[in-house]
Amino acid sequence: MISSAEKLNHVSEVGIRRLVDAFYAKVRLDPELAPIFARAIPGDWQPHLTKMYAFWSSVMLTTGRYKGNPVVKHLVIPGIHPHLFERWLALFNETSSELFDDGVSEEFRAKAARIAESLKLALFYRPDRPWPPESTR
Amino acid sequence: MTYVVTDNCIKCKYMDCVEVCPVDCFYEGENMLVIHPEECIDCGVCEPECPAEAILPDTQPGLESWVKLNAEYAPVWPNITIKREPPADAKIFDGIANKFDQYFSANPGQGDQVMKTNLAD
Repeated sequence: MISSAEKLNHVSEVGIRRLVDAFYAKVRLDPELAPIFARAIPGDWQPHLTKMYAFWSSVMLTTGRYKGNPVVKHLVIPGIHPHLFERWLALFNETSSELFDDGVSEEFRAKAARIAESLKLALFYRPDRPWPPESTR
Repeated sequence: MTYVVTDNCIKCKYMDCVEVCPVDCFYEGENMLVIHPEECIDCGVCEPECPAEAILPDTQPGLESWVKLNAEYAPVWPNITIKREPPADAKIFDGIANKFDQYFSANPGQGDQVMKTNLAD
């Protein structure tokens, strides 16, 4: 754990790398998320991490470095479930708070929450079923 | 919940948004762009990039007709990911109110395809 004085006070490519690396280290140890990710990324994690550096760079620094279709990527993940997004967000928020000061951390958390919600809607929303789908847990 | 392109894009079409969008969800009409609601991940990167301030969150009240229009045309207009020169008269039309009734065109724009063909020539 780093002290509050050492926390990053702005968004940078270096900060994004630290966040992504620390976050996915937690994911890979998490009882709920680890098995899902292990199936989706059975081999070398570096290509995924590199893609996530680019994604967050695009989102936080508007660099346009990431180009992809995350909805389609998530559609084919076996075992993906709405409640896993909550777990993902909790770990992401925790990691972001550990590395960045409150203002920057909140910027990351706000983006992550909106993107998670829109991915959830894209993957699971059906007009004929209740939303949010908590009852299906 | 996604972002939508609204009235002030019409005949301005600056296209700054298409370069920053991480998921390439902009589609091009003859004189405006729209966002594909099923592809947008609500990251909000495009909103401040638009010089015409034409991109808004669909949660904002009063945008129902634009939500419908984006959803209707995104599947039929070509995808655009590469910015081109905006229309020469873009600045003249920037800020004019209610452009839809007078100027909206349902015709597709050229999208990226024409660019790629040109590059290959």
